[in-house]
Order: sequence, then structure tokens, then C-alpha cells
Amino acid sequence: MVAPVLQLDGVARDFSDGRVVRRVLKETKLDIFPGELTALAGPSGSGKTTLLTIMGLVLKPSAGRILVAGSDVRGLSEDELATLRMEKYGFVVEQAALVPALSALDSLLVATAIQGARIRPEIRKRAIELLDRLGMREYADARPQQLSGGQQQRVGIARALMGGPVLLLCDEPTSALDVESSHLVLDTLKRLSRDPHRAVVLVTHDPRVFPYADRLVKMEDGAVVYDTRTASGGGI
Amino acid sequence: MLLHERSTTAGAILGVVAIVFLVGQQLAIMFGLFTLMSAVVDNSGADIWVVSKNVENTASVSNLPSRYVDRLVGLPEIEWAEPVIYSGAQLRLPNGTFQPVQVIGVTRPELHGGPWRFTAGGNDVLLEYDGATVDKFDLQDLGSPGIGDIVEVNAHRIRVAGYTEGSRAFGAPLLFTNATKARAVTGLTVDRCSDILVKLKPDADIRQALADIEALLPKASALTSQELARNTIIYNLTSTGIGSSFGLSTLVGLLVGVVIITLTMYTNVLNRQRDFAVLRALGARRRDVFAIIVYQALTIGFIGLLIGFFLLAGFLFGVKGSRLPANLPVWLPPAHALLTFFLCFAGSALALRRALKIEPASAFR
Repeated sequence: MVAPVLQLDGVARDFSDGRVVRRVLKETKLDIFPGELTALAGPSGSGKTTLLTIMGLVLKPSAGRILVAGSDVRGLSEDELATLRMEKYGFVVEQAALVPALSALDSLLVATAIQGARIRPEIRKRAIELLDRLGMREYADARPQQLSGGQQQRVGIARALMGGPVLLLCDEPTSALDVESSHLVLDTLKRLSRDPHRAVVLVTHDPRVFPYADRLVKMEDGAVVYDTRTASGGGI
Repeated sequence: MLLHERSTTAGAILGVVAIVFLVGQQLAIMFGLFTLMSAVVDNSGADIWVVSKNVENTASVSNLPSRYVDRLVGLPEIEWAEPVIYSGAQLRLPNGTFQPVQVIGVTRPELHGGPWRFTAGGNDVLLEYDGATVDKFDLQDLGSPGIGDIVEVNAHRIRVAGYTEGSRAFGAPLLFTNATKARAVTGLTVDRCSDILVKLKPDADIRQALADIEALLPKASALTSQELARNTIIYNLTSTGIGSSFGLSTLVGLLVGVVIITLTMYTNVLNRQRDFAVLRALGARRRDVFAIIVYQALTIGFIGLLIGFFLLAGFLFGVKGSRLPANLPVWLPPAHALLTFFLCFAGSALALRRALKIEPASAFR
């Protein structure tokens, strides 16, 4: 049995508007395994993004515990969590959120220099290799506004891979893309999930994603209502 | 992130240039005026000025008995002591109107306290009975007298025998002549003088000398040249409104710069909130965000300083040799640079506060 890279054990999250406390994520138990592409689906407001941000250690749960590669992260400081994110996580966000002033290559390099590290030649080489793997090498010097939505998203994926993450978390990566670009991005994510040391979790309400998923987790009203391995099982 | 956006970076740099140039230019003129205010004292060559009791600056009228000079030279620590006449007068212009001047009469043959930086003639012109010097920057105000021309001062003939360049003071143009002519012009009798200049022997203790002089001349005050110069500057600053005027314009320059820097950097953070959130999600700690903002502020400060100092140097070069006094003491540029960096940091404080509040989770909303 492969060990999960991420375990959520009774994780819940409350939000308060100052008067009323509302539980937006009910107690959830979920294990994420490497080598799988897990799709987290559900209607708007179902709690899937909240769950993703808790998985990504950017939002603290109100209850429950999170284990990353078997280690409980509850006692970690904000800085330690940031370092853990940098070392073990990759994030792909909606519309890539690339800095307009940075070229594709610089966007990748910034991700490694984020805690003040020097950009050594091998890091630059790795960034170029990643752009190459994602078919974006010829756009290394291009600014985001010179790229299509799909190309931007592939740069975003390359940026997320710079640290060699064991967990790649994607928030609606195809929401703003046309059909062709969506398939390109999903093909890429699917390929990345085949790495036996890496898990890919993808939040979506885009049904085009489902055929790519190895596992489909469906949420409604802040709770997981459906969790199953799909028939495709990586057959795309 | 700001640094890659040329228009916003240019806006922030403009703010720094405004601080460096506007403030630097105001301070240069202010220190130029300070130099004028204390010029007569600074260039007198005296260590101590003996003045009337309670007189503390050169703008106040001093009147002493001339016999004090003989008593002063009796003190063992004094190398020389000479009276000087210092009085306002009216110079008649060719068109019949009058121009106020400050007549300074120095004692022959040593002529201590006389003019400096000659461009025509020399100190010896004051040895002549009616010889006087004027400054070339004041020529226009004095009706442009040529060398050898006779001018009328308080209904007395004075011959312009020398020109100086920069022998000026704050206020009316200076007209240097010998003490005899100055007495004739100002009506001061031979037994009176305005001030007495004192030079100490090289090994003399100046504090002891001051005490000895005040003990010897209880109806006079003795001040070091530095004290008199400082008192004169302070007097002019407080009594003429120059201090508040320059203080206000300097403050406006600072405010304009800080407001531009603050707005530019804050707007940039507001526009780039999601980028900061993504950086936080990718692993940036609060201190990394802090470093980014401070690095931006200091880089902008550095570029702005270079441009601002370049413009300031151009300004100083442009006014050199003109009537406009400008002087930048050597300590001022580094102090100004430090102040500018501090203001850049202060200007980025609002942006910093905003950026540090951005939660990484907002990248996903």
C-alpha cells in the first residue's frame, strides 16, 4: 500500500462574520496518494476551495489535523508552514496569476528565489527544462500578455513544479480556457500525476476534467458526499 | 514587482527626485544665505569680537570707546586688536535715488576685517584716503560704478578703487573703506568705534581670553567669531521669517515627495494583491514580502537620489558665479541621502502594511 502524501483527519473550518459562526467545511477525512490525479468537484459554495486551501496549508482548519508525508503540521509556525509549502507543494491557480512584468522564465525563477535564495545556473537550467517539458521553451522571454490563456496556465504549472513538489494543488486551472487549451493543460497535469512520488489535486466544476481524474471527490454543503476511483483510472 | 512596471516605477522615482532636488535646492540656498549672514565675521580673521554690552549679532548696533583697543592690547594673550566701523549709509545713485549700503571701515595699515576675493585692485586700495571696494554682484544695485568712479555716500565722496567677488553679506551691499573715511561718512567720532576685532596668540586659551576681556571691559561683551556668526544667523532666521519660509518650502518638498512615493507604492500593492498572495502561497514568508517592498523602496530611492543629485549639481553649477547664494556643506549630501532613504522607507510603510496583511489563501478566491 502506498503511503498518502497528505492526510486530512477530521478537518473542519468555521467562518465568522462577527456575529454568526458558520461551518463551511464539515469534519472531513481524506487521504491523498501519490501517482494519482484527484478531482475535487462540486457546485459553487460547496467548500471545495476551502478544502484545497487547507490542504495547501494556506488556511488553518478550525478543527482536525493535517499530516504532510506523515508529519503533523499543527505545531508549525507561519514561517515553517511557508517553507513547507515551498519545499513540498506546487500551486496552480485560476488564470495562472503570473506577474505581468515578468517573463515566463523569470516567473519560474522568482518561485525559487522567494525566500531570498540566489538563482544559481542549475536553477536557471531547471527552469528552462521545465518550460521545455511543457512545450513553452520558445516563450521563455514572453510576458504573460503575449501568451494565450493555455500558455499562461502551462507557465503557471511549470512555476508550480520548480521546487519538485510532492503535492500539486490546482484551483480551477481550466476555468478560463477554451476546449483545446483545457485539454492541453489537463494532459499536462495528467502526465505529471503519473510520477509515483507526486499527487495532483484539482478543484473544478468543469466536467471536462472528470475523464482525466483517477479519483473523483464530490462535495456538497461543505461535506464530501462522493469519493471514488474512476473507471478511466489513468487511461486517458 | 513594482520595479518591472516602468510607469509606476517612474512615478515613484519622480517622488524621490522631488525630495532630493526640491529639498536640496532649498537647503543649498538657505545655507548660501547662512554664509552671507556670517560672511563678515567668518572672513574677519579675528578670533574674538568685542561688542557693546548685550549685543549678540552683527545686525544689532554696537558702539564702543576706541580707547578699549589700547586696554585690550595690554592683555598678554592678545596678538592684535583693531577697531572696526560698521554702519548703515545711503549711496546716491546716478538717477538721484538712494541705495542703502553697509559701510565697513577697517583700520590702516593692517586693514584687518577688510574685504576678500578681489577681482580688481587689492587690500591696498583701502590705504588711500577715499578708496573703497564694492562687490561685483552688487554693482547693478549701486548704479554700476567703474573703477575710479566717485560715488556719493551720506553726502561724502568715495572712490570705487577695487572690486570683489563674493565679499557680500545678508542685506544691504557692503562698501569697504578705511576707518577714517568710514567715520567721516557715518559721523562716528574718532573716539568711538563699532566693534573691536581681536586676534589671539597661537597658544592662547580662547575661553580664558574671553573671561579676561570681560573682566577688563565690564561694559562690553566678548564673543568668539563662531558664536557671533551663529548668533547672527539665528537672529536673521528668527527675525526675518526666512527660517519659517525655507522651513515651509523644504517641508512642502518633503511632503510632495513622500505623498508621491506613498501613493505609487500603495497603489501598486493594491493592484498586485493577488500576486503577493500567490507569492505567499508559493512559500514567501511575511519577512520575504517585507524584503520585497523595502528592496523596491530602497532601489527607487537609490535611482531617485542619483537623478536628484545630478539635477542638484546642475543647479549648483548654474548658480555658481551668480547673485543667488547657494552652498551645500559637505555633510549635507550624505545626510540628505539618509533622509531620502528614510522617507522612501516611510513612504512604503502604508504599502508594507497592506502587503503584509495579504493572506495567501486569497490567491484561491
